[in-house]
Order: sequence, then structure tokens, then C-alpha cells
Amino acid sequence: MTRRGILAGLVAVLAAAGGAAWKFRLFAKQYPPTPYDDLLGQIVDREPAIVFGRAARKSMPGAAQLAAGLRRDHRSLAERAAAEPGEAQIAEVAGWIVPQSVALYAALAAQA
Amino acid sequence: MSGFQDARALPKDTVLTPDLAIIGGGPAGISLALALAESGQNILLLESGGRTFEADVQKLYEGSQTGVPYIALDGGRLRYLGGSTNHWGGWTRPLDKIDFETRKGLPLFGWPFGRDAIEPYFSRAQSLIEAGPWVYDEAGETNSDNGPLLRLGPGGLYTSWFQFSKTRDNNLPTHFGDRYQADLAKAAHITPLLNANVTAIRLSPDAGRVAQLDVATLSGNRLTVKPRYTVLAAGAIECARLMLASNDVMTAGVGNGNDLVGRFFADHPIPRNVATMVMFDGAIAPIYLNNVARPDGAVMRAVLSPRPEFMRAHGVAGSLTTVENEVKLDPFATAAVVTTAQALGVDASRAKAYSLGCGMEMAPDPDRRLTLGTERDALGMPRLNLHMTIADDDFTLFRQTLTELGRQLLAAKSGMLHISYNRRDEWLEAMDWGNHHLGTTRMHSDPKQGVVDANSKVHGIGNLYVAGSSVFPTYGSSNPTLNLVALTLRLADHLKKVMA
Repeated sequence: MTRRGILAGLVAVLAAAGGAAWKFRLFAKQYPPTPYDDLLGQIVDREPAIVFGRAARKSMPGAAQLAAGLRRDHRSLAERAAAEPGEAQIAEVAGWIVPQSVALYAALAAQA
Repeated sequence: MSGFQDARALPKDTVLTPDLAIIGGGPAGISLALALAESGQNILLLESGGRTFEADVQKLYEGSQTGVPYIALDGGRLRYLGGSTNHWGGWTRPLDKIDFETRKGLPLFGWPFGRDAIEPYFSRAQSLIEAGPWVYDEAGETNSDNGPLLRLGPGGLYTSWFQFSKTRDNNLPTHFGDRYQADLAKAAHITPLLNANVTAIRLSPDAGRVAQLDVATLSGNRLTVKPRYTVLAAGAIECARLMLASNDVMTAGVGNGNDLVGRFFADHPIPRNVATMVMFDGAIAPIYLNNVARPDGAVMRAVLSPRPEFMRAHGVAGSLTTVENEVKLDPFATAAVVTTAQALGVDASRAKAYSLGCGMEMAPDPDRRLTLGTERDALGMPRLNLHMTIADDDFTLFRQTLTELGRQLLAAKSGMLHISYNRRDEWLEAMDWGNHHLGTTRMHSDPKQGVVDANSKVHGIGNLYVAGSSVFPTYGSSNPTLNLVALTLRLADHLKKVMA
């Protein structure tokens, strides 16, 4: 095997490992399991959601009640967030106008 | 007598007998004089100042204030030929049809006629203020050469348009004194009289007509004017002052039998940085941020206006929201944007944020008023006190409009909005004003509800009229100059008939 071949193989292995790490979020922050992971899993990036959710949760019920309410609507976060502005289902969180579901999911993330 | 005269140089106790005396050489007075130049009537245009700013003349405007902090009474206007066009910003936009309507849930709103009554005068008014071709909201999408318009979901706000006054050589904007003094000088039947301060309107004993005007100069000269007709065109503060101070026959002041003169003072509140608008893709057409000249000569800027349907449905007043400049987001704001954009499935990695400004319409308030004070100016005239108010509802209603804008941005997945202020003290802290003095001689068909009638004639006085934005009974959110000039041209047509 030539030195060029060895280097190419090494690059391929590293690339595959990197891809797998990204795909399975091996380097992403790990959160302890919660009873609401079915909901929290829909949030793409939980860190900013937690930061935003700290303001959102001030006027919200506790996590269990919040989660129960969210589960009653069978749409996903993405479906709800896209539809709610057209349905006038919006919330104001610390001055930010957001789809209602964004405020609710962020509040849940901050409490979970 | 025609051509410019100086009241200081006329013989003491001169008596002048024009057909029409116009008190005030600002945009209303000059427009009226020019519109009547060919009428054959002899017109005396009385201007308190000279051709340039003089501190002792300006000092005549000083007064006192109570209530909500407001610009000093000598700070928001200018007392020399051209009046406050000598410092205006040139922003121009016609009032909307809804601005003339009576409104459910908004007491005291409405004019005695619709916009169609002044529509025929807009074209000439546009020409006088030199704002180029009439485009405004007819621009619609045609300004897309300057970048795509803001993507908004269906709803209450839309992109509307300001135009700008410009003089020759593209200097912004038109100063009526500089621009029209040559026209005034060469008009055979117009005599502009400078340094001529009207200190009293003397009524006939039955209070049915103006008998004479007392005129004084700061140099000590005294003149008398005995006109057939008089038009007050001195601005919303000074018109009220002169009417209130002229109280020898009508003890409450000229035209003030129903205690309305000086009430309903208004301006356009322009609180700064009312909101932050985030565009997820970072892009916004430059015409929202800056004035842009089109090939046809119109200088335009895009703003965001509430639709009449939205205003009627939600009982909100007028407003014009402007995009000001790019701002940085703090970590919390970034978290809000990332969380929302990700939920919407939108890439916000290139997002940019812009601060928003606005011009708001105030609801009419009879307690926001001018009254005579105890101090007197150098000519012996009582100075004014302004009691300024702004209602919590004015902020609440505008907040509804901003919330709707935020909703429409989300619906279009183009961006999102942060509203800066919630509490009254926050709004007041950010407050600035348009210096658009309005409403103190409001127009209404009923003398119990207005000082002037639908022809701008003072109720009960046969030969006294008021021109300018003091007659606006409600205000809209558009800057007043174009509209007051159009309304003045309408008055000119009326005077041609009654004076003939």
C-alpha cells in the first residue's frame, strides 16, 4: 500500500467518524432524561430555547401541566409554529412576538 | 401698494384697508396669497418676522408648560417668512381616507367632509411643496427596482410610501419663504408686510365681524389694518393665542363662545426605537432605510402603515412605522431568534436586526390645551401655557399595530419583532415629537364641537377664517404640510366666491 493510499484511507475514516459524531450528536450537550423528551426532542437546539424559555415560563403553569397541554394538540412543534401566526395564536415573551407553541416549548425546556 | 414692505418703516398709525389680510407668512399664508394673486383682491400678508431668523422675534413665541414633557413653545416653530418650513424635514404624505372618518370606539374622530373634498387640491399642493410627481401608495410594487418589498403575511399592515419635498439643485426641502418671495414680490395685488405683529383682532360691537387688526413692531411702531376679510394662518399655537388674547368684545376670546379655542392641541408623538425587527435572511431593501430618488424625480421612502380594515376592526389610530438602522442583538435576543427560526424551519444564520421608529396619531383630548398665562411678551401680548397630555390608550393602540406587524412577519416566515416598551414611563422616556402643531381651532359643523366650520370660517364671525393645521379635527399620522396646503387651496377657492 502506498503512502498516498494510507493517507486517503485515514482521511476517509476520520470523515466517516466525524459524520457519525454529527449524525448521532455525540458532541452535543447531553441532557438527563425527562418525562417530556417526546416534546423536547422536537426542539432543534435546546440551549437557546432554555435561555428564551426562562422568560417565557414566568407566566406559564408547571412542566407537567404544560406538557399535558402540548400533547393534547397532535401537531408537531414545526407544524404548530408554522400555522399559529395565521391563526392569530401568538404570544409575547419579554417583548418578542412569537408563535404560541414556541413560547410553550421554550418554557417547558427551561423547566425540564 | 404691492411688493415687500417693512412695517417698521411705515408712518406711525398708518391705516391699511386691504380686501384680505392674511396673518402669518408660513406655508398656509403664502399658499393662500399666491392662490388668490390673480383674483383681483388686494391682499396684505402680515408676517411677524423678516426674511431670516432673528432672536428677539423668535422670543415672542416663548411660553410655559405643564403636564407631559414637550418641546419648548419657542423650540418647535420658526417666526420669519416661510414659518416652520424653514426647518421642516420635507416628509410628505396625503392623509388617508380613513383619517376623515368618524370611528367606532374612537370618540371625537372625523372631519365634516371626506378626503374627496381636498383631493382636487393635492396636485397643486404637491407642486407647491415641490415633492415631484404624485406617486405615494400608487407606487405599490413598482419600487421593486430598489429591492424587494418586505415579505409580510396577510394582515393589518402594508408597505406604504412617503415622498419628500425638494427644491432646485436637489436641496431638501422647500423653504416657502426663500422659494416664493420672488413670486410674492412681483404679484400686483399682494403686499407682504414684514416685521408686522398682529397683537389683537378687534371685533365689531355685535361680535359678528372683524373690524380691525392691531399691528405692532418690536421697534415701537403701531399700525391698524381694516380688512374686508381676515385669514389667520399663524400656526396652531399662535392662532389660538391671538384669538384668546383678543377678548375685549368676546370676553373668552374671538370665536371662543363655546370654550374650544386652544383645546385639542395635538402633535405626532415619535417615540424612538419602538421595536426591533429581525429579518431572518438579513435582507431589507434600502428604500426602507433611506430616501431613494427615482428616475421620475420622486424621492421616496417605504414605511409600514395599518390598513383601514385593520384600523376599523381593532379601533386603532393611525401610525407610520419606519425602519431606522441596523442594531446588534444581545444573547437573550439571539436565543429568541434562533429558537423561533428553528421552530419555523427557517435558516437565521444571516439574520440582521433593525430598529424601528414611528409617527403616531394621538386621540383628540380637550384637556390638552393652550391657555393664556400671566406673563407678557415684548409687545404686551399674554404668553401661553400649554398643558400637554398623552393617553395610555395612545400607546396601547399603537402596540396592537406593532403586534400585528410581528404576527405578519412570522406568518411570512421572513422575520420577527420585539416591542421595546410596555409601561407608560418607558414610552415617555423614549418620546420625541414631530413639531406638527394641530387641532387648536378644530373644524366641525356644530359650533359646540368646533371653532371653524367646514369652510374654515370661524363660527359666528362673518369675515374671519383660519388656514393651517390648527383646523384639523383629527390628525392621521401623515405629516401635515402637504395636507394643510391642499386645505388652504380649497379655502382660496371658497374665498374667491365669497369675496367676489
